[in-house]
Amino acid sequence: MKNFQQNLKKLEAADTQVLGVSMDSPFSNKAFADQIGVTFPLLSDWGGETTRAYGIYMDKYRAARRVNFLIGKDGKILEEQIDKSAIDPTKIVDACQRPPLKN
Amino acid sequence: MRRLALTIAIGLLVGGCLARAADNQSTPPPLKLKVGDVAPDFKLQYFDGTDLKDVTLSQYRGKKNVVLAFYIFAFTGG
Repeated sequence: MKNFQQNLKKLEAADTQVLGVSMDSPFSNKAFADQIGVTFPLLSDWGGETTRAYGIYMDKYRAARRVNFLIGKDGKILEEQIDKSAIDPTKIVDACQRPPLKN
Repeated sequence: MRRLALTIAIGLLVGGCLARAADNQSTPPPLKLKVGDVAPDFKLQYFDGTDLKDVTLSQYRGKKNVVLAFYIFAFTGG
């Protein structure tokens, strides 16, 4: 999440809203956001309905996989980053800055 | 006796390799949603310090790109 925060200005300049999502409660997510200095919303998927709809619920941990999706203005998925590769969001930041997405 | 020991040693080696192969296969299953698919809409909440606020994916349609960053648990790294 911190890595997205560091790139937030670039992403906002490219018309991109960042949303964190986990299965924690809204209140623990807020405390987490404050602790690590994240200013974008951390959404609470309490119960995991959205996590399951995106196909990334892990039974073993009863939690979401570490995945980033970049979704275009048309609602379609443009980029995906999975597990370890999702920690560094450079691929998504670069994709946002490509000309077609800025319009 | 020596032949038996050799058979067991080979058995263990083959078994180990098979177990490792199975392990590698189970680690990164691909995602159900692919690039180009329509992302499912959702309605989720966050707490802004005062109120619970609703956020939907569809509210950004035609206006902004959205990064959805799923993470495993609050208060963990990444």
